Amino acid sequence: MAPVLVLWLAVFLSGTWAVDKGNFKTCDQSSFCKRQRALKPGESPYRALLETMELTNTRLTLQLINDNNKVRLLLELYRLQGNMTRVKINELKPLKPRYEVPDVLIREPPTEPLSLLSQDENGVVLSLGAESQRVILSARPFRLDIMEGRDVVMSLNSRGLLAFEHLRMRKDTFSYKVTSTVASVWNNIKRVFSSSQADPEAEKKEEADPAAQPEAAKEEEKDEDGMWEETFKSHTDSKPNGPSAVSLDFSLPGVEHVYGIPEHADTLRLKTTENGDPYRLYNLDVFQYELYNPMALYGAVPVMLAHNAQRTTGVFWLNAAETWVDISSNTAGKTVFGKMLDYVQGSNETPQTDVRWISESGIIDVFIMLGPTPKDVFSQYASLTGTQAFPPLAAVGYHQCRWNYNDQEDVAAVDAGFDEHDIPYDYIWLDIEHTDGKRYFTWDPHKFATPKEMLQGLSDKKRKMVAIVDPHIKVDSNYKIHNEIRSRSFYIKNKDGGDYEGWCWPGSAGYPDFTRADMRDWWASMFAYNQYEGSMENLDTWNDMNEPSVFNGPEVTMHKDAMHGAWEHRDVHNLYGFYVQMATAEGLIQRSGGVERPFVLTRAFFAGSQRYGAVWTGDNAAEWEHLKISIPMCLSLGLVGISFCGADVGGFFKSPNTELLVRWYQTGAYQPFFRAHAHLDTPRREPWLFGPENTALIREAVRQRYTLLPYWYLQFYHAHRTGEPIMRPLWVEYPEDPATFALEDEFLIGRDLLVHPVTEEGARGVTAYLPGKDQVWFDVHTFQKHNGAQNLYIPVTMSSIPVFQRGGSIIPRKIRVRRSSSCMMQDPYTLYVALNLQRTAEGELYIDDGHTFNYEKEFIHRRLSFANNVLSSVNLAPEAQFSTGSWIERIVILGASKPSKVLLKTDDGQESQVEFDFDASMSVLTLRKPGMNAGADWNVMLQ
Amino acid sequence: MKLLFSCSLLLFITAACLCGSAATRKLRGISSSYKRFYRERRSFLCIDGSRVIPFEQVNDDYCDCEDGSDEPGTSACPRGRFYCTNLGFRPHYIPSSRVNDGICDCCDASDEYNSHARCQNSCWNLGQRERAYVEGQMRTLDEGLQLKQQLIEEGVLLWREKQAQLRELQQVAEDLQIKLEEHRRRKQEVEQTLKALEAGDTRVRGKNSSESTFRLLDSNKDGSLSVEELQEKLVLVQEEELLLSEEEAVALMGGGRQMDLPMFQHSLWDVLNTENRVKIRGIVDAEDPHLKAADTAAEREASSLKKVEEAYDTINMEISDLRKKLTIDYGPDWEFLFLNSQCYQLNVYEYTYNLCPFNQVTQKSTAGSEVSLGRWGMWAGTPKNPYSQMVYENGEPCWQGGSRSTTVTLTCGTETALCGVKEPSKCQYIIDFQTPVACQPVLKQRGIHSEL
Repeated sequence: MAPVLVLWLAVFLSGTWAVDKGNFKTCDQSSFCKRQRALKPGESPYRALLETMELTNTRLTLQLINDNNKVRLLLELYRLQGNMTRVKINELKPLKPRYEVPDVLIREPPTEPLSLLSQDENGVVLSLGAESQRVILSARPFRLDIMEGRDVVMSLNSRGLLAFEHLRMRKDTFSYKVTSTVASVWNNIKRVFSSSQADPEAEKKEEADPAAQPEAAKEEEKDEDGMWEETFKSHTDSKPNGPSAVSLDFSLPGVEHVYGIPEHADTLRLKTTENGDPYRLYNLDVFQYELYNPMALYGAVPVMLAHNAQRTTGVFWLNAAETWVDISSNTAGKTVFGKMLDYVQGSNETPQTDVRWISESGIIDVFIMLGPTPKDVFSQYASLTGTQAFPPLAAVGYHQCRWNYNDQEDVAAVDAGFDEHDIPYDYIWLDIEHTDGKRYFTWDPHKFATPKEMLQGLSDKKRKMVAIVDPHIKVDSNYKIHNEIRSRSFYIKNKDGGDYEGWCWPGSAGYPDFTRADMRDWWASMFAYNQYEGSMENLDTWNDMNEPSVFNGPEVTMHKDAMHGAWEHRDVHNLYGFYVQMATAEGLIQRSGGVERPFVLTRAFFAGSQRYGAVWTGDNAAEWEHLKISIPMCLSLGLVGISFCGADVGGFFKSPNTELLVRWYQTGAYQPFFRAHAHLDTPRREPWLFGPENTALIREAVRQRYTLLPYWYLQFYHAHRTGEPIMRPLWVEYPEDPATFALEDEFLIGRDLLVHPVTEEGARGVTAYLPGKDQVWFDVHTFQKHNGAQNLYIPVTMSSIPVFQRGGSIIPRKIRVRRSSSCMMQDPYTLYVALNLQRTAEGELYIDDGHTFNYEKEFIHRRLSFANNVLSSVNLAPEAQFSTGSWIERIVILGASKPSKVLLKTDDGQESQVEFDFDASMSVLTLRKPGMNAGADWNVMLQ
Repeated sequence: MKLLFSCSLLLFITAACLCGSAATRKLRGISSSYKRFYRERRSFLCIDGSRVIPFEQVNDDYCDCEDGSDEPGTSACPRGRFYCTNLGFRPHYIPSSRVNDGICDCCDASDEYNSHARCQNSCWNLGQRERAYVEGQMRTLDEGLQLKQQLIEEGVLLWREKQAQLRELQQVAEDLQIKLEEHRRRKQEVEQTLKALEAGDTRVRGKNSSESTFRLLDSNKDGSLSVEELQEKLVLVQEEELLLSEEEAVALMGGGRQMDLPMFQHSLWDVLNTENRVKIRGIVDAEDPHLKAADTAAEREASSLKKVEEAYDTINMEISDLRKKLTIDYGPDWEFLFLNSQCYQLNVYEYTYNLCPFNQVTQKSTAGSEVSLGRWGMWAGTPKNPYSQMVYENGEPCWQGGSRSTTVTLTCGTETALCGVKEPSKCQYIIDFQTPVACQPVLKQRGIHSEL
């Protein structure tokens, strides 16, 4: 779906085809970012007051004092289960409470005891469990160092960039003057009657440095521009609470590669930001976003991973306000000559990456995930914010979308087109034009007069539909949804207390306050079949524009001084889209009485959004560079828990040429969320509109997706269980191989499939890196075997999708590709057993009903393993109940030698011979129709 | 009645076959013309000749042949196809992937022999409906073809009429041309006469230098003109010659009462030369009456030549218009000719669409603004029937660049009317247009499979 029409017209008329950067703030234009960034590394003014330390079984607390202004902060330090450390810093006595992000953590993270190893006047040393991991807390200046043995893993405030803009009274107000006078009187009284027990450390300091107090006062008085009011373009932010930013730096010795903090249209490996703006996290509807830059996009996940060959760590900065992340490195700026000089001069400076987080409001609440493996970090993060929602199987299939399918007839024709051209699909989508005048939950009375009839028609073909429901609500007293929200006072309020109104698709619109649980409950109830007229079981939902997009708002979003109850929009901005999707998913669950798994796509997201469905990379364009960037963008999201990611196949804006469209299908078929989408103004591009040859190429790409659905579904199950990404960078599986650290033109699906899509126009070949020194990889199309740890040149034609199966893996496929995933439920499996050099292989098979929450108890999960010439299926979940009609129709063993006979032994003890076929040229052994049930125990012996 | 009978007989036979299970399995999904490939009962040669397999492996739900020919009755082969016999309706192939997928594809339900789908044999009903439909279509076709014949005849007449009209116009044009030449000749003559006369006159006038005129006006020869002298010598020509009033004379002298030669040369002399309402008395009278006559004649000739020229241009425009219209391809029998100069309308939601064949397509919203959706471009049907589609191009420009265009699809109907308008992509319209002239005398529709 598209962003700002108004802007669109403006940009179109001016004839440019790129983001209008002037519509979005740079760090310099965002006053807190400018203020904070002006602060340079140096000695921190913060000092830990060790005498205030309290250590309980679960946490350590102590106060920090800023020697410049004497404002005290409260530090809380927790050791969390699963090798994590939580550091929380808030004002000790804020003028009013500061926002702490709720609902993102799945529970209060369970703690583990911290123990004090040593303590002196310079600091304390705490143990982080048995693994020789310690935290050293230094008092003056305050800093934290997390050690493993003699190595520093991570340091906090080592560059002295901890900053906490305490809440204060506005000086020109009457109450300020009264309070400050009273305070200074009180100070004097205190001075006179001071007893040593009150605050000896602070007093000493004051006595030693009598200039400190007046100087601090002077500091206090210094009001900078933009602290109490700030204007961008024509929009003024009234900032009634004044400055409230927080900032902290993290140093990562030995680290040269950092990842994550999506969403940015940038490389997988994050760049240093010294010569430009920091990476920005502020959910925005960016019209025609530009590639390879740190500008904010639709979603924000404040999680960064750091990796080197020895260790992977992560930092989760739990703050929902506008956030900027600066990255610097002591090696990045160095030229080859500089590095050589270091070498010659014997400089042994270790590489180091320094990261600094700056947020506009809220508190500092940081989760330090100590790995040490990438998968440890994934499970650590998953234990905090949850895992990927397990989608219904259909959602893993192919999605056909367009802004817009015009009417029911159009939908029927497109549906029939897929049958005519024998291309499977699961969901057809309706964008905003399906509604009655952009009133969500309604249908255009002419074009979609009988939605249930339409949905039934799709259901008869075992297919489904997604209709859009955006969070902006048309202000129209004849619109039920609006009236109810207004009467319940569920709308976000403007700074003056009235309902906030902005301009969006329907014209004037209100924005429901999704941060309210009662509002979300009400919203969820609107998805009930008797509320959402024309909806049926096979209708799922798409939440777009939930940054939120406000066409006439600052930076096309909501005014920061809008109010969510007691909190400003400033505090909660990045959470809005998260809550919209949460409420919608809950609605879909409730309408089925808690039985059916929901499917909800969102454009805006935050940490934890993975729990509610899928995301896509927003309004991209039909350009080769956009196809390429879909890989690092989805990889970055996967690393921070959001596995169900995809880009609009074909590109949203503009019209792809045929080659680009075909290549995009081939790439999209191997990405988790596989949906074609197109802008209203582009020519039609259903797969059969480009001549029979290209129809065949697209059909083949989509069919490859469907044959692999059992594997994809298994990956989703894993992601749901473990939080590991589905689409993952190679370094996740090969963490010790630096050659993989910056790869972003290829990726793995799970552990076992390596995909190097063709993303170059007119490509004659691609060079894929096959990792693993002692590993082999099999081309899934030709079964040709290649050695690992090499760059392999692969000649390509238009039909090529270079995909490799890892030697040592077993991948289940269903090769009977049908109309939709649901038509294939009972189909038999073909197992692809790719042997490694040790002639072993392992894999899994996961089966459930494909759409309900019964999977929690009713499923089949089996381990398939090949060793000593025996392939066996072992039950991994004996307590689970599920039966399937699916059976094993074929077993293809790659890298096999020819057996004299093959025996199948089933669990009833019966033995039978299995026919086989051996292709000596490719060493492929195909077992013909062994026929056992996919849920049974069995052994196949090659003799 | 006969049809019904043969059908039920066949159903009976089919039912009987089902009892002999194995044999039926082997035969499932094969058309009668392919049965010969499956006759051998010991082994089976894949139809592409790639492989021989034991006959038990035919339709055993495992794909052995690359071409899918061993599994015509199951879903095992990715490239396979299943033959729906569809007794009572039309037989056809479906992809093997639709066998036992829980969706009824064959109306005889033969594709869902092992699934949870509860398929009814609907072939008979479908056949009925199809037959009714085809009959309706045939009636429409018959009626349409008759109407078309009339329209063809009308078309021929219209064509002749237009041709005659063209000839007539051409005749008129020729006549006009002759007349035109005559007028041109006469105009030339008159002009020559006039020129000759004027040449004489110019000689006289040519002598009238500013000085001589000054002298002529300066009655008392004092080297200065007075108000009285002007009143004496100058007249205002307005229908008739009028004497100058004193004020008028003063005005001509630029507000003064005296005027010397240099001043005269800079002011009044120009007035006398450019303002022909002020003349020197006696000079007009002195004009040659022949010259005057010649002048009038020349004017008359020029205006009548202009009239003839205009008429000639109009006729030529009409001719070129008509020619252009006649160069349009109106079909082999000029059957589409009658559409020219007609317009057809249809309301869809808030829009009124207007198709004027061979001219243009427009869209008018209830708000009132009319937008061109394209001007006549060309026929764009299939090579076999180029007259099945028209394209109208270069309509109003679009936001994303390019301009609006419309494809008109012509189908056979008993009256000429717009049946539907769609806009599948922005600015690309598709119009369904029904007309008897689109009816094609086809061979009987591919028959309904009612008998074996």
